[in-house]
Amino acid sequence: MPELGRAALVITLGLSVYALVAGAAAATLGRRRLAHSARNALIGAFASTVVASVVLAVAFARDDFSLTYVADHSSRSLGGIYKLSAFWGGQEGSLLLWLLILTGYSALAVWLNRRRARDLVVWVVPVLAGICVGFSWLLVAVASPFAVQAAPLDGAGLNPSLQNPYMMSHPPFLYLGYVGLAVPFAFAMGALLSGRTDERWIVTTRRWTLLAWTALGIGQLLGAHWAYVEVGWGGYYAWDPVENAALMPFLAATAFLHSVMIQEKRGMLKVWNVVLVSLAFCLSLFGTFLTRSGVVNSIHSFTRSDIGPWFLAFIIVAVAFSTALILWRLPLLRSTTRLESLVSREAVFLYNNLLLVALCLTILWGVAWPILSEAVRGQSVVVGRPYYDFFLRIFGLPLLLLMGAGPLIAWRRASLRGLLRTFAWPGGIAVATGIVLLARGAGSSIPGLIAYTFSAFVLAAIALEFARGTRARRALSSESWPVAFASLIGRNRRRYGGYVVHAAVVLLAIGIAGSSAYDSVTEGRLAPGQSLAVADYRLTYEKLAERDTDHATEVRAQVAVVRAGKDLGTVEAGKNSYRIAGPEPQVSSEVGIRTNYATGEDLFVIAEQVNDDGSVYFRVFVKPLVNLIWLAGLVFLLGSVIALWPDAREERRLAVRYGEAGSPAPSR
Amino acid sequence: MLAVFLLYTSIAGGGGTPSVKPSELTSQTGTISVAGLVVGPVTGDAYADGMRFKLRDIEGDSPKTVAVLYKGSVPDLFKIGRHIVVEGELKNGTFVASPGSMVTKCPSKYTAVKPPE
Repeated sequence: MPELGRAALVITLGLSVYALVAGAAAATLGRRRLAHSARNALIGAFASTVVASVVLAVAFARDDFSLTYVADHSSRSLGGIYKLSAFWGGQEGSLLLWLLILTGYSALAVWLNRRRARDLVVWVVPVLAGICVGFSWLLVAVASPFAVQAAPLDGAGLNPSLQNPYMMSHPPFLYLGYVGLAVPFAFAMGALLSGRTDERWIVTTRRWTLLAWTALGIGQLLGAHWAYVEVGWGGYYAWDPVENAALMPFLAATAFLHSVMIQEKRGMLKVWNVVLVSLAFCLSLFGTFLTRSGVVNSIHSFTRSDIGPWFLAFIIVAVAFSTALILWRLPLLRSTTRLESLVSREAVFLYNNLLLVALCLTILWGVAWPILSEAVRGQSVVVGRPYYDFFLRIFGLPLLLLMGAGPLIAWRRASLRGLLRTFAWPGGIAVATGIVLLARGAGSSIPGLIAYTFSAFVLAAIALEFARGTRARRALSSESWPVAFASLIGRNRRRYGGYVVHAAVVLLAIGIAGSSAYDSVTEGRLAPGQSLAVADYRLTYEKLAERDTDHATEVRAQVAVVRAGKDLGTVEAGKNSYRIAGPEPQVSSEVGIRTNYATGEDLFVIAEQVNDDGSVYFRVFVKPLVNLIWLAGLVFLLGSVIALWPDAREERRLAVRYGEAGSPAPSR
Repeated sequence: MLAVFLLYTSIAGGGGTPSVKPSELTSQTGTISVAGLVVGPVTGDAYADGMRFKLRDIEGDSPKTVAVLYKGSVPDLFKIGRHIVVEGELKNGTFVASPGSMVTKCPSKYTAVKPPE
């Protein structure tokens, strides 16, 4: 079987090389049949990658330890579902998953667009094929998942810290996001190569970008939740380089999703858009590089490997290629209109873009500086939390404000009277919220107070938009309120889906502000029977319980919780000692969390140290509103689905605009 | 504009906290970060008066070690032979770590115990 897997990957590489060379030749010479053949080769590359992936999955299912990769990441006793997640538990399998998603996306993108935008797609094929060549080369020549050995009796198993549902979902979502950005990138490059630099490539890839962006966002929130409930240090985001690696392309893609609207509506920012999409894609390559190469110190310490230089070469090629193309096509990318006023919808979009890119580049600088400093000055440095927190406030808070202001400001040029009228309600609500919160003691953290006030402003602005739209529809069609509301969203999914996503961002902001600016922490050593108080909770350590499972010894401290005189039952926190090879077991903390669903607050109990005399050193957090972060994930998903949902009306409009009934679009 | 911004951040960022190897730790002042390999014996209690251990270079064979005094959260993966990073200040030859600053690196490879056949 490994031979089949290896052969399938070689075929993928061959087909990708063919699609690259033949596709580029066909596009240059205008040869239609050759272009078809290149496209079919790209689709074939997906088929052979599926074969390779199935071979690896079957090897995991059948405990085929003659494959080194399977033996290193699985074992006979590993639970069935985790055998599947062991697929991407290591480097080679992760790369195969990357390639599988990449070829899948590529095949789907060129197939769906086979009758549309032909002059664009002929150039998209070789670009996508080029990326496929890179990844399949790595899998064939550098890091093959199909290396064989004399089969040991049992495999090494999957690290216990990876045996949880998050391992099933967090990496695949991130990959769906990272790799998904390749599609808009390829269309942008295709637009530059073909000289079709109008908004066509943007319209074609809008859903791809949204999909990739949503997957990246959800993947990160899953990772944050994983860190929060499993890693157990009391936080959910540590500005770790590997976390930042996913945040950077997400921020660039967020900027891109906004700026493309300006190009569609006003024909502006053409250069900026191709720069952004290239930045997002190169950052996703950089993210994979950071994660996989071991160049940075990170808790996600994967095995150091030799794919680093290859990846670096990839990134350099991608950056050089896109930069050269953009410079070459600069004359075609002139704006057709200019910014008329600094107080207009498009100006706000521009500010939002600058802030997002500024935040993204600051994070990039924080990640890259230690590497650069080591290489250039020979002095290694660590860029820590204060740096990132500072810039998150500097750029994040104005972004939050703009998110509320943008939709209220008119396109082209806003009048002062118009502004006063539209800002009156949301502004008033925000000020009132701020005063109430100040009176209730929220002034202990100024950034927190600002975040709350801005959040109130944005929520009010969003509610106002929904109310105004619904009223307008009722006036138009005399529908009932709920029907008018539903058809308002249904008829303008992109806009109102976007508002729902904005609401999710507000929830996220409130959750982050609440849990980081207004949290309480207490720690101390308790003997059985002793108590400690934190915020309005009183915790009494009752006793220690120990139980044995198949893989681990679990020690749990049982803690009785009383909040404001009300008995809330017991919380368990402790440690698991996994029996692994070597002199000592692998220990992991298991935190106890008590959620108050009415207020979104968590009581978070860590048993830091369990002593021989039965005493336990506890660290206890109270994190107000932290659950809004997870709720934000659901709202985010809802908003994205609304915006992504197929819209027949939009399709018809576009078909008319681009004169598509099978005939090739006119080239400019 | 972007260039100005990048220039600004690199200055405002202050270049981060310097990070050194245990063998290079001699007379530095101010907050520094040390990455090293834990050498025993580990004594004391991080949750009381402080835990004491030594660090040596992860790579190379410099025999030099530095004594570390640490208080606060000890990551689950901390033990002799592990790679850790701590932040703190050098005081009279002992590296006094900032409470709770310890970060451990995961073991590079995981091996489960073989169940008896």
